[in-house]
Amino acid sequence: MLCLEDNPLIAFHLEQLIEDLGHVPMLTLSSFSELKKVSELSADCALIDIDLVDGRTGPEAAKWLRGKGVPSIFVTGQRELAEDYADRVVGILSKPISQEDLEEALSMIKPN
Amino acid sequence: MTDDGAGLFDEPLGHVLVVAPYRRDSSYISQLLGEQQIDVSIVDDASLAQHLDWSTSVLVATHEALSDHVIETVAQHLEDQPAWSEMPIVVLLDRASPSDRIRGALGVSWPRSRLLFYQRPVSAIELLSGIQSALLMRSRQREVGNYVEREVELRRELNHRVKNILASVTSIFQMTMRGSESIDELKSDFSGRLRALTEVHGAVFEAATKPVPISEIVELTFAPYRVEKSDRIILKGPEIMLTHEAATTLALCLHELATNAIKYGALSVPDGEVRFDWNIAGDNVIMRWEESSGPPVRKPEKSGYGTGYIKSALSSLFGVPPKIEFQSEGLRLEITGPVDRIRRN
Repeated sequence: MLCLEDNPLIAFHLEQLIEDLGHVPMLTLSSFSELKKVSELSADCALIDIDLVDGRTGPEAAKWLRGKGVPSIFVTGQRELAEDYADRVVGILSKPISQEDLEEALSMIKPN
Repeated sequence: MTDDGAGLFDEPLGHVLVVAPYRRDSSYISQLLGEQQIDVSIVDDASLAQHLDWSTSVLVATHEALSDHVIETVAQHLEDQPAWSEMPIVVLLDRASPSDRIRGALGVSWPRSRLLFYQRPVSAIELLSGIQSALLMRSRQREVGNYVEREVELRRELNHRVKNILASVTSIFQMTMRGSESIDELKSDFSGRLRALTEVHGAVFEAATKPVPISEIVELTFAPYRVEKSDRIILKGPEIMLTHEAATTLALCLHELATNAIKYGALSVPDGEVRFDWNIAGDNVIMRWEESSGPPVRKPEKSGYGTGYIKSALSSLFGVPPKIEFQSEGLRLEITGPVDRIRRN
């Protein structure tokens, strides 16, 4: 699992939730520009916030990841904004997220 | 505070649009305004619609210009105005015309406008001062418009921030809850973390648009403990001006380290010492936390909130993970990362 989240507290929480659900938080980054520098990406899924350190780049990151075959889920406090880019992701979760929300969203990805 | 909007005196007061079918009128008005360096355009019935836009400050129309088409075009423009706008319109009526009727009719056709009527022949000074005060009125309206726009933006930004903070607090609560073995522990850990977040929020807010000095972050984190343990807490390093995000993360990490030292580490015994120092070497900053003379340290079986958060937060802040060692003489933490990731000049 890959996380793109610029708030370290929330990133930490996400990592723990991912572990609790039996997945591995492989990499957590705070910007799209950092993500583009990653040479080998082996994530099965990405959790992405809309606003990152380098601006409103979450949607771009989702598009970029989709091009690499990695499905994404938005985890955001700006649901309305996220809806505009709904076609780039497999799900949208509103902050604050719970373990149940995350589990449900991830179950939509698993079949692949 | 500086206002980034251009002031009244930096730019022309605005643009005046004139619809006057008789050339004599139009050239008279344009000359009169031109002499005062007022920006003016003459338009006709057909081209009015394309010229009438938000750069139009004042519309001047003569009696003959008030065709159904012109009245309709202006009405449409007024309807499309933003909430702050009431376009001033100067109307020059003929002495012989039924002025009361026209005034009444225009008032109905052109709601949300500021109508100024003059009867021809009108003296130059009278017309000029009328148009000038209309221009002033218009620029006041624009100021209000900018103000309203800025407020809407601020409200949106505020909402975003509040949501972010609530999400942070929720995360802190959830994570504290899972690590707590009793309600008392939950209570004290959670309130301690909230206090740390509150303190650093205050410092970041005070700094406003400026960066936050690292000395201030260190000071606010250790202030509660320095009274009784001042000689046992050594804090040392050059000033670094931090981004707000770096200041917040660093404060919360130091809070975890300090409370851990008080509960289990070097500050839990009378002779223990804690040293936090930082240095800049080339492009890197090196931060070190060292506890000594404390109780024997054992690596915890599972990683708790403190170490978990510190690892995650510092990794994200510097792009590299910190080195955390549970040495027998005390906990040690060291991180070396690009100073540019935390510094703002």
